[in-house]
Amino acid sequence: MNIRTMAQRQIGAGSSNWQWSWLGALRPGHLVLPLLLPAAVLLAWQLTAAQGWLPVQILPPPSLVFSTLVDLIRDGEIAANLKISLWRISIGFAIGTSAGLLLGALMGISKTLDDYVGPIFKALAQVPSLGWVPVLILIFGLDEALKLIIIAKACFVPTTLATSQGIRNIPRHYLEVARVMMLPRLLFLRKLVIPATLPTVFGGIRLALSHAWISLIVVEMLAATEGVGYMMVWGRTLFQIDIVIAGMIVIGVIGLAMDFGLSWTERRLSRWVPRHG
Amino acid sequence: MTLQLQQSSQASLAIRGVSKTYRVDDRPLQVLRNIALDIAPGEFVSVVGASGCGKSTLLRLIIGLDTEYDGDILLDGQRIAGPGPERGIVFQEHRLFPWLTVADNIGLGLEARGAGQSEREQAVSENIALVGLAGFEKAYPHQLSGGMAQRAAIARALVNRPEILLLDEPLGALDSLTRAYLQKELLRIWQQEQVTVVMVTHDVEEAVYLSDKVVVMEPRPGRIGAIVPVDIDHPRDRAAPEFIALKERILGALAH
Amino acid sequence: MVDLSASLPPRTRARTSAASWWERPALWRGLAIPVALLIAWFVVTRLGLISSHLLVSPEKLVALPFVDEAGRHVWFALGESVVRLVAGFAIGATAGIALGLLLGTSQAANRAIGPSVNGLRQITLFAWIPLLTAWFGNGDSSKIVYIALSAFFPTALNTYEGLRTIPAHYLEVARVLQLSWRQRIVRLLLPGALPSIFIGIQIALITAWIGTVGSEYAMGVGRGIGTFMAGGREQFRMDVVLLGVIILAVVGYVINVICGRVFRRLLHWQGSPS
Repeated sequence: MNIRTMAQRQIGAGSSNWQWSWLGALRPGHLVLPLLLPAAVLLAWQLTAAQGWLPVQILPPPSLVFSTLVDLIRDGEIAANLKISLWRISIGFAIGTSAGLLLGALMGISKTLDDYVGPIFKALAQVPSLGWVPVLILIFGLDEALKLIIIAKACFVPTTLATSQGIRNIPRHYLEVARVMMLPRLLFLRKLVIPATLPTVFGGIRLALSHAWISLIVVEMLAATEGVGYMMVWGRTLFQIDIVIAGMIVIGVIGLAMDFGLSWTERRLSRWVPRHG
Repeated sequence: MTLQLQQSSQASLAIRGVSKTYRVDDRPLQVLRNIALDIAPGEFVSVVGASGCGKSTLLRLIIGLDTEYDGDILLDGQRIAGPGPERGIVFQEHRLFPWLTVADNIGLGLEARGAGQSEREQAVSENIALVGLAGFEKAYPHQLSGGMAQRAAIARALVNRPEILLLDEPLGALDSLTRAYLQKELLRIWQQEQVTVVMVTHDVEEAVYLSDKVVVMEPRPGRIGAIVPVDIDHPRDRAAPEFIALKERILGALAH
Repeated sequence: MVDLSASLPPRTRARTSAASWWERPALWRGLAIPVALLIAWFVVTRLGLISSHLLVSPEKLVALPFVDEAGRHVWFALGESVVRLVAGFAIGATAGIALGLLLGTSQAANRAIGPSVNGLRQITLFAWIPLLTAWFGNGDSSKIVYIALSAFFPTALNTYEGLRTIPAHYLEVARVLQLSWRQRIVRLLLPGALPSIFIGIQIALITAWIGTVGSEYAMGVGRGIGTFMAGGREQFRMDVVLLGVIILAVVGYVINVICGRVFRRLLHWQGSPS
């Protein structure tokens, strides 16, 4: 396998087996080793903070971070900010992914369209979300529209690429069989197109979600007044690093949950649609 | 053109009451039962049998990739415990490292033994000539055809002058024309090097063409069904009646 | 002497057809929309069809880095950004490859350290910035730490994957030939993992570049493409912002092209793609 195909697989895969492969073989005794390092770090952290070697504004003790986290949850701060963030990402994801599926399908089916639209699409895809932020701020101001557009764009690109590639990669052999059998349109879609493209498209959607999450945080940190991203900037401005760290933990946990959820869905779906080729 | 190569010494292989059991889903699965086989020095022995008869497992035990078994495998009277330079193996896939040239691949075993640069170069060029790959020293595996790559793998197995050469369906992945050509090559190399050979194959004709005796194995659990000596002089004619009769006999032994 | 040339596989040709680049329809079609947009942009600004202070004319944009006073800063900004990128990337990639090698070769290390690194990887990179600025201030150190962090995860992950996916067939050959530890690393593990490591380096470079501009943009202090863009946004100068965006994209593209070329040469033993 050469570097080009590997890169394509890598980019399509998003997160890799590194994350979840070890969960399958998990047994109670196995939890000891993985927890050793975090426990040691937490202990060292608590001791350093307790000794007061560094001011609380720079290194709050884990106990403080924990109690802040609990307070924020109890106050409903986290819930409120999360609600906004999740609302934004849902809408942006819905818009971006549907548009991506549509354009990707069209580009996959029609080579002519792909020839016309492909290059400029790829050129625009080169610009990361970060690049779009200042441009769109100048045009739309700090509106909700800004955040939704950025998230939608972040979803749009990987979905389009994955869908068009998935459709183009349907083995010619199967298409010929379908033609010979004169499959009616619905059956053609259900029994051939969807199962054949599902792995690639789903990989693209998984990537889209992870990009959407990243763009959400970026735009909330740079141009928002509420949301989990903003919460961290706010904590930083007040020099309350416990809030910042609490925010980072929340972000990490949500990112983990989303990816786990998607990989679980993918595994359920591929049970219906056996992997092939 | 005959090459004056120093001939490798030959080993005798004694397999005494060898059995092997795997655990699958906490249930024991016996893949080999009471294998008893004697192989004389310089002999060419083929092992044939249906899938699941454990012939590849037996080979892995002899080469030392697997060391857990009941019974004894004795090489010149010494029990085998892990891989060693006196045994070489050629797998069904050539398994040449893609990032090394043909010469570097072949010389790998010598490098492991700590052989010096000049000794390595000499042995590598001798073995390249032996398998007929002269001129391809600096080629990379991706530039070789299947047959050529497998020849390089044979050279790699022979470079340490092993006493016994193991072949695990070495020609199975090749097309029939290349296979026929390489069978002749194998015969020539065996006669030239005079090394003991144990070959696993599912091609009965190949077994009869090359070997001094053919071991027929039966599956589930793997055990020896029959040992058929092949007393025809080389070069053997595949169309000769005695050849065909032996082939039929072995196929018959396999069928039940 | 046997003629072996007949058994060599046919030499794969570099180009699929003999058509020169100007004869290929796909190329012209691809240029159609961008060229049309460019012309439309030019016409609209020339004729003043849309009046908005945000609409910059193409000529002004092209002249910006040479003529305009604010625009001329972009060269120094680019230089500084690239220096930061190289410094941060060197640190992050080295650490990442080292950790990947450790996790890929030692089962124990993988079980002990792997999950923690994985957990840290879940935290969106940008979210580290408030913490880093609190610890290291708004200057170069926090930017370089951030860039190093951006380069760290892709290299670690891909190095680990590269080692993990070395086919068992080759590992068996190593056992049969009784390769020493040193030989195993030099002759098998490193070359076998190299394609993956290169991919990790490529991804890390892009991530680090985006991290460079991102951290500069977020922290606002000092000179760099990110700061250049932030300044443009504050002064409502779309032309400055667009110039920054173009440079952001172009450098990313150049990185990909260079990496692709260099790695293909270094991995020449892979042969052409099947």
